[in-house]
Amino acid sequence: MGLIAKDRIRAKLKEDETTVRLLLAHPMHTGRGKNEAGELIPAEFIQDIRCWRNDDEVLTVKCGTATARNPYFSFQLVGGQLGDKITIRWVDNVGAKGTAETSVG
Amino acid sequence: MANSTQQQRRTLLKGVISASTLALVAASGLLLPQRLLAHWPMDAFSAKTVEDALMALLGHAEIVDDSVVQFKVGSPPSYAVNGASVPIEIQSTLKDIERIAILVEKNPNPLAMSLDFTPAVKLPFKSMIKISEDSLVIAVISAGGQLYKTSRIVEVDIGGCA
Repeated sequence: MGLIAKDRIRAKLKEDETTVRLLLAHPMHTGRGKNEAGELIPAEFIQDIRCWRNDDEVLTVKCGTATARNPYFSFQLVGGQLGDKITIRWVDNVGAKGTAETSVG
Repeated sequence: MANSTQQQRRTLLKGVISASTLALVAASGLLLPQRLLAHWPMDAFSAKTVEDALMALLGHAEIVDDSVVQFKVGSPPSYAVNGASVPIEIQSTLKDIERIAILVEKNPNPLAMSLDFTPAVKLPFKSMIKISEDSLVIAVISAGGQLYKTSRIVEVDIGGCA
């Protein structure tokens, strides 16, 4: 991949909402791009992202190839408490997986 | 002498071709277990038009064009220099959102993202998408059995579908 990066996740409680921000490290090749030698780069993109708060699954994001490189997501969760555990798992089309975890601060 | 060099060259070429074919097959995901892909709506994401994608994803394509769904002003921008990463932010006053689809009309596969909501999640939702050429960007929200949409034309300088 040539990327020295890791998935980042932040969750912040403000008033009665938890804001989750997520930045994944992934090249998101569509299968239409070419490398320097002019050869097609095979498709490699995240398909499925799931988010849990403590033990409840709260959000599923399915991505197509039109999601930007190093995908960024931000969304709100209703309520929440300091110390809630937010977990993310992703899977891409070649079977690579990743996970990220944080606690609400 | 000339003959044997030719022969060697042939064998070498053959080897290179078969090796690269194998690598391609492995990389393209043909050897993947189906289980992995079972939850990913393949036909919706590979649809070539907005209507087909919505039909495959949400079951119908009749849409109420309503003001309850909005894009944030400037996100997506009406003009973006780099189509490879265009910010997008969706807001809505709707309750009980079941699913949100984000589509880019002129992309080779219009469906960019599909979000499955639970009552614990709230808008606004922000992300970044790729846009291949000047195109309509559409957000469709499915709530209470109805579809609501909003759209905005985005012009891009450098197409972002590589």
